[in-house]
Amino acid sequence: MKKRLIAMGLTAIMAMSLLVGCGSGGSNNTSSETPAKDETKKSGYRVAYIARAQSDSFAAWLANEIMAEAGEYDDITLDVFDGQADDEKENTAIENAISSKYDAIIVQPNNGEAQRPYVEKVVQNGIIAITTNARIDGIEGASSVDADPYKQAAVNATLALEQIPENARVVVLNGPSGNFHADERRKAWQAEFFDKRPDVKIVAEDFANWNKDEAMALMEDWVIAHGEIDAIISMNDNMAAGALEVVAGKPGYEDIFVYGVDGTAEALLLIQEGKMTATCLQSAIDLSELILDTAHRLLTGEEKQIDTDIAAPLITKDNVDEYIKIYKERGLITE
Amino acid sequence: MSQEIKLRVSNIEKSFPGVKALDKIDFSVRKGTVHALCGENGAGKSTLMKIINGIYKPDAGQIFIDEKPVKIQNPIQAASYGIAMIAQELNYVPEMSVEENLFLGRLPTNKFGKVDWKKLRRDTIKFLKDEDLPYEPDQKLKTLTVSDIQMLEIIKAISNNASIIVMDEPTSAITQREVEKLFEKIAMLKKKGVSIIYISHKLDEVFQIADDITVFRDGTVVASHPAKDLTMDDVIALMVGRKITNVYPKEECPIGENILEVENLYSKGVFKDIHFHVKKGEIIGFAGLVGAGRTELMRSLFGLDPITSGKIKIHGKEVKIESVHDSIANKMVMLSEDRRRYGIIPVRSVMENASISSLQKFFYGGYWHSKQEKEMVGNYFKKMNVKTPTLETTIQSLSGGNQQKVLLAKWMLLEPDILILDEPTRGIDVGAKFEIYKLMTDMAKQGKSVIMISSELPELIGMCDRIYVMNKGRITGELQRDEFTQEKIMKFAT
Amino acid sequence: MVEKFKKSKIMEKYSIFIVLIFMVVICSLLDKNFLTKNNLTNVARQLAVGTILAYGEMILIISGMLDLSAGSVLALAGVLSVSFYKATGSLIGAFLIAILVAVICNLINAVMITNFKAPPFIATLAMMTVARGAALLYTKGQNILQLGKYVVFGQGDILGIPTPIIFLAVITVIIYYLLRHTALGRSLYAIGGNEEASIASGINVKLVKYKVFIINGILVGIAGVLFMSRVNAGLPNGAVGYEMEGLTAAIVGGTSFSGGIGTTMGTLAGSFIIGSLNNIMNLTGVDSYVQQIVKGAIIALAVIWDIRSKSKKTSKVILVEEKQDKQLNLNLN
Repeated sequence: MKKRLIAMGLTAIMAMSLLVGCGSGGSNNTSSETPAKDETKKSGYRVAYIARAQSDSFAAWLANEIMAEAGEYDDITLDVFDGQADDEKENTAIENAISSKYDAIIVQPNNGEAQRPYVEKVVQNGIIAITTNARIDGIEGASSVDADPYKQAAVNATLALEQIPENARVVVLNGPSGNFHADERRKAWQAEFFDKRPDVKIVAEDFANWNKDEAMALMEDWVIAHGEIDAIISMNDNMAAGALEVVAGKPGYEDIFVYGVDGTAEALLLIQEGKMTATCLQSAIDLSELILDTAHRLLTGEEKQIDTDIAAPLITKDNVDEYIKIYKERGLITE
Repeated sequence: MSQEIKLRVSNIEKSFPGVKALDKIDFSVRKGTVHALCGENGAGKSTLMKIINGIYKPDAGQIFIDEKPVKIQNPIQAASYGIAMIAQELNYVPEMSVEENLFLGRLPTNKFGKVDWKKLRRDTIKFLKDEDLPYEPDQKLKTLTVSDIQMLEIIKAISNNASIIVMDEPTSAITQREVEKLFEKIAMLKKKGVSIIYISHKLDEVFQIADDITVFRDGTVVASHPAKDLTMDDVIALMVGRKITNVYPKEECPIGENILEVENLYSKGVFKDIHFHVKKGEIIGFAGLVGAGRTELMRSLFGLDPITSGKIKIHGKEVKIESVHDSIANKMVMLSEDRRRYGIIPVRSVMENASISSLQKFFYGGYWHSKQEKEMVGNYFKKMNVKTPTLETTIQSLSGGNQQKVLLAKWMLLEPDILILDEPTRGIDVGAKFEIYKLMTDMAKQGKSVIMISSELPELIGMCDRIYVMNKGRITGELQRDEFTQEKIMKFAT
Repeated sequence: MVEKFKKSKIMEKYSIFIVLIFMVVICSLLDKNFLTKNNLTNVARQLAVGTILAYGEMILIISGMLDLSAGSVLALAGVLSVSFYKATGSLIGAFLIAILVAVICNLINAVMITNFKAPPFIATLAMMTVARGAALLYTKGQNILQLGKYVVFGQGDILGIPTPIIFLAVITVIIYYLLRHTALGRSLYAIGGNEEASIASGINVKLVKYKVFIINGILVGIAGVLFMSRVNAGLPNGAVGYEMEGLTAAIVGGTSFSGGIGTTMGTLAGSFIIGSLNNIMNLTGVDSYVQQIVKGAIIALAVIWDIRSKSKKTSKVILVEEKQDKQLNLNLN
């Protein structure tokens, strides 16, 4: 009996250690329960950032960049909370932040509609509310900073219009079903490319859920089933890289066109090597700068409400080198 | 005792794949009587009882209760006809408590339909007091011995107001005093008009309480008569189809020096001041009531449970036994009482069950010597007359007696010097019992030793050279063969 | 009767292979590309990681335990291995690091289960979250890129045979040997079949359980190397849920959840059945949602078939030898 209690205790401790240790490392990481503190600043604004998850690489990157950017502001103290990819936990985190009387609360929703009533509560309590990645539309009094997923895919689709040969056979890789960004990007491809190019045939399309290994497994089978494939159209870079892994350098696929979204370090390197065609940068760096800038303006009273987007720059072989340089400076690419 | 027929079966047939278990069975039980069923394992008695209890459906034939034809689809229906069955192989849930088990299926509820635990507790305490049972209501079944559980089952069935009670080997795990209690209850039930079907291998008991006896052999009824018209030898002969003369094959064997000496053995809260010795060629018996501590003592000796203090000497040298491995290394082995729990590995084959303690004999040189294993195990099986279709048959499809023989073969493969047997012949037919006794005698003849725990006094008296009696964790008496009587043993046991 | 007995024995022993052959036939009819060398090689390559994990689950389930942490430990071992390679350039070192990390995690599992009597479900569930958290913590949630020569483990080939397949083949032989030709293997079946009886029969159950987890650790570590090198990245988020796939393959392949039963070839067949299923549905373009439903249904069917063909084994043997002479004269008064 005693041994059982020890066992339960041990496992409970192990589970707890996850909460404490998980996330992107560094002194600023937290669970949804206890915030981490910046070095104490002189009196200024207290801002809470509620991340949707820290186990998804983009969200982790964004959280890191937001913290770094907040450090540039003397009058902002930033605390990060982790929603752990769970609506229940994220909503609780928002409520806790309200009780802790933050001056501003930035929410990166896990599921917009689930967080909507809680963001409304933030506004009702007289606290500045900002939603980001992806914004929650139509909340009276709240602001938003986002990238426009439609635009992100559209810039690729527009390029593809010229590049993809006639009667091409293409495969499409989608993000998780029902995910806002995934759906918007797919919409853009449909309207900006497929509707305009009825000659192009989609030989296969499936969900790879943003994951590289899932995309890889699908592509392996598609190569067998469909032989000639002229383009890989992917809703994000991870999946594009996964599919590319299967065919890169293989005879018959040297000229394959590959499109993605995000502008991950991996994608930039692949574009530089000529294996990938184009991607759209979803820069967590730009996003975090814009978020903090927006937050600051709202906190100082300069503006009452802001809705704004970061740019959706297309990256191709022509301009990839400058972006790689930026990444190297930020330490995201090492040689 | 009336001539009125309470239960009758007519022309019952039942087959399983490749086997005809029951062949045109006609059988009837009078109201308010004890009707004994005798027969070797596999003769069909349990199968017929399972049909009456709704566990199996007959391929053909009819069942009549109070001369009205009935269809019994499941045990709940059987219960509604007043049939209760106490099974031989006790299926119990170790984590269940005494009170939960006692009122299984009829937990008292309050007017909201929730279980009334307070009432359950009250009823259980009253029940345990009335029946003079030393258990706590919230004790888990796994803390009880097999004997305890069997007693509980019997009393449970009786208290449920059945009109036909089937008892399958009811006294196999309980001791003399409890047997007497049981017989008193049976007499009381008869007066109330309850019919009892009593399946047992213990013919002396059968002749004590049965009004009628039916003998099964190979799936048919070979005889059915009032008990007064039969003798024990008649019944044995009918059961096996041949005459058996010598029930206990005891032989005089040369007794040597001490092979095992136990001094001052003490296990906190379990047993104390244990001194005994065993000589080469001896068969030693351990008698006592349920809960006396015999099984616990042997388990500690065998290395399964820890000892607080004390000395164990084998061949004169002091040894430390802290695991089963140590015991085996000292050539001392034990056949457990509860073969379901500590004996068989149900899903594995008889061969694997027999070789499990001797793995290094067949796994060496980098590979598995399967032919060697088959031969070795096959030889032992032949020697001990284990009845199994093939060596790959899973052990759980064998009868209890054959399972026991497989387990014995497992130990004999190790060529032990000391063989501890805990209730080795419980629930086993006459033929298999005999073979186990013969094995014990053979061991003794070869200068090895046997320790037997048993609740069957005739068995102890028939086979042992000396008997130690235990009571409440201590050895209370030691008897030599020439002074064995049931009364003397019982005196030390209480 | 003897003939009928033999036929049912063959059925029950080889039932899962019959299902596999059935599947292969159907698949080759559904799509002409299925039986091509390229496709089958693909399938085998895709299955390598999952099957290796399935072997680990199999030996654990046979001995009455299981491992819910396999996917997470795989990820942790994999990212540390990749990182090690990038830091030192040593392929062998990286390979050994992966095994070391996975073995350590599994030893922790073993301690919790054996010494502290934690139920395997709970203990490995805890490890599942801890290992995943550790992987994310170490990589700060980001993928490790630019693996260089590390990919040779999962993307190379020897004499034209892809390396994952070689790993799979070698490991299959080793596991087969373990289960069939060692005392340790036999002990696994005993412990899973009845742990208390095994203790009472002299088996050192604690030691065996440690050994099983160590072996599982080695398998998970190797799987980690193969996985990361196949996807050409250190993915701290990779292999989520892979332990369930491993469990499923083992169960479909005839490993009994209640312990004491399971075979290497059966698990291999189970893995191939599921893999072929995925493959044929991708080849024929079956919709993703439908795929999930079909997969679940077929797994249920395969398991039910297997259970039914095994149920014959457990019915009681009533009569074994010839009936004896029934004639006997009695004098009854």
